[in-house]
Amino acid sequence: MTEVVTASGLVKRWGATPALAGAELHVGRGITGLLGANGAGKTTLIGMLLGLHRPDAGTLRVLGLDPTTAGSEVRERVGYAPEHDALPGDMRAHDLVRHLAEVHGLPHREAVSRASDALWHVGLGEERFRPVGTMSTGQRQRVKLASAFVHDPALLLLDEPTNGLDPVQRDEMLALVRRIGTEFGIDVVVSSHLLEEVERVCDAVVILADGVVAAAGTLDALRSGEDVVVVEVVGDPAPLVAALRAGGSPLEVDGSRVTVPLPDDPAGIAGAYDLLRDAAVSTATSLRRLQRRTASLEEVFLAAGAGPQHGDDLARDDEVVSRS
Amino acid sequence: MSDARILDRGYRRYDGARLGARGAIGSLTRQSALRALGLRRTFWAKVFPLLSAIIAYLPATVFVGIAALFPDELLDPDAVIPGYGEYYSFITAAIVVFVALVGPEVLCPDRRDGMLGLYLASPLTRDTYLLAKALAVVPVLAIVTVGPPLLLLVGRTFADAGPESFGDFLTVLVRILVSGLAISAAYTAISLAAASLTDRRAVASAGVILLLLVTSVATTVLVELGGSERLLLLNLFLLPFELVQRVYGELGSEPQLATVELVAANAAWTLGAGFLVRERYRRLQVTR
Repeated sequence: MTEVVTASGLVKRWGATPALAGAELHVGRGITGLLGANGAGKTTLIGMLLGLHRPDAGTLRVLGLDPTTAGSEVRERVGYAPEHDALPGDMRAHDLVRHLAEVHGLPHREAVSRASDALWHVGLGEERFRPVGTMSTGQRQRVKLASAFVHDPALLLLDEPTNGLDPVQRDEMLALVRRIGTEFGIDVVVSSHLLEEVERVCDAVVILADGVVAAAGTLDALRSGEDVVVVEVVGDPAPLVAALRAGGSPLEVDGSRVTVPLPDDPAGIAGAYDLLRDAAVSTATSLRRLQRRTASLEEVFLAAGAGPQHGDDLARDDEVVSRS
Repeated sequence: MSDARILDRGYRRYDGARLGARGAIGSLTRQSALRALGLRRTFWAKVFPLLSAIIAYLPATVFVGIAALFPDELLDPDAVIPGYGEYYSFITAAIVVFVALVGPEVLCPDRRDGMLGLYLASPLTRDTYLLAKALAVVPVLAIVTVGPPLLLLVGRTFADAGPESFGDFLTVLVRILVSGLAISAAYTAISLAAASLTDRRAVASAGVILLLLVTSVATTVLVELGGSERLLLLNLFLLPFELVQRVYGELGSEPQLATVELVAANAAWTLGAGFLVRERYRRLQVTR
């Protein structure tokens, strides 16, 4: 199975407010970021993936099953870590993780050993018998993560997994998520409003805006919309520009900066670099900078039309760090 | 001592059997029952359940002691020791305190902590979640509704002051189980209904006690003022215990109420409270 989640024409309304308005969705293997401003429909979509909400229209498949009719079967094979702090403070971490493994159908003995393993994996091996209430925010987030994958799900849904974490804890959490999606072989959907976070851990992105999928695909594919080489020259760029134009390269000039678009195919990209090198040598142009630039996720997000009216709700990491 | 250290435990996939909703209900039932009893929790969480149990079992222990220590020639056990149905009048307070504690303890924290969202993201549905909670509360309440009369029966039997034949013994045993479970079922539904209306345990516990007291006082006053005696069917303090008297073939304190009315009223309260809990959870928004 190459597609973990598929949705077609997905509609969900809360009263008169549309949460999803005909979303088309294809989530493949690996780690996928679910990106959108607050109110874009991310949490509603996660609830629907878990079979907790019935769509008003459209079809939805999770791991090949319809969560509205086979909700229990889907939830048995899916792990979920909600955004909010959802742990009872007076329970020991190991008891809690073991209990949630059992609730997901694991026999008691297996649940006991896997709870220990899961807590080791998230770095809480030594702390596993401490009550959750005595743990730091970062440790509680790790317990929540361990609870979500202790039963070896095929798909893990993480809703804002770095909420409330300091920068160091956030880096560790993102590394853990990456490890789960790669080493453990569990497909992960990370819902987030932090662009840089998604950019760092995800292989693919689904961007939700106003209840529809504004853009979706692998990060490489989404960012290939703008794939250019930016060349900054010392002195007059005219000879270099002329040589490049003579070589048939389309380009833009802005003062001492020359921007050369790159083709899609690897051979074409190599050819463009060769042309640049030869043009610089033949015109004896000194280069101050030569840098390949792809579109950032933020640019993709804005280009997808998910941006301006929701811009305040979305943040890059540095902004969030400075706020916290 | 070895210097060996485990550097990487690796990740184990799980290909074994999964127990589905059945396993989930079993685990949640066990976990909720342990929580209600304060087990695997702090000392203070154990205090009230323990005190209630002591109060419930103390009279039975004393009566068994009397039956064992004093020979029949000196003391007629039937004259001194209350009947199994009457025994509940000694432990009503303990039962009410237990009821007021257990339901809220089992339901409220899940909503307050957000654990409900994690449970509903498992094979559990809202209905199976509530089923597991009810399955946890009934046996916990049975500790004070079935256990003490059962201790009385077993103790009296060993002291040679119990039922005269094995048949009589079985009859009393069945009556104890039916009575205890009837009280547990009715009060489970009522305490869960109160707990479904608030996230705060203390408020829900106070609500249960208030509900029992208010229905008791209000109906008694209304009947004394000349209202219909059927108003007593709204008395939650009285109903389950009056039904117990009928199970033992006695008329109890309100003989004017027909047994069928008592059965119907208990069933109506139990089902009505159960319906309220179900509706409340059906409308509860977990993720949005």
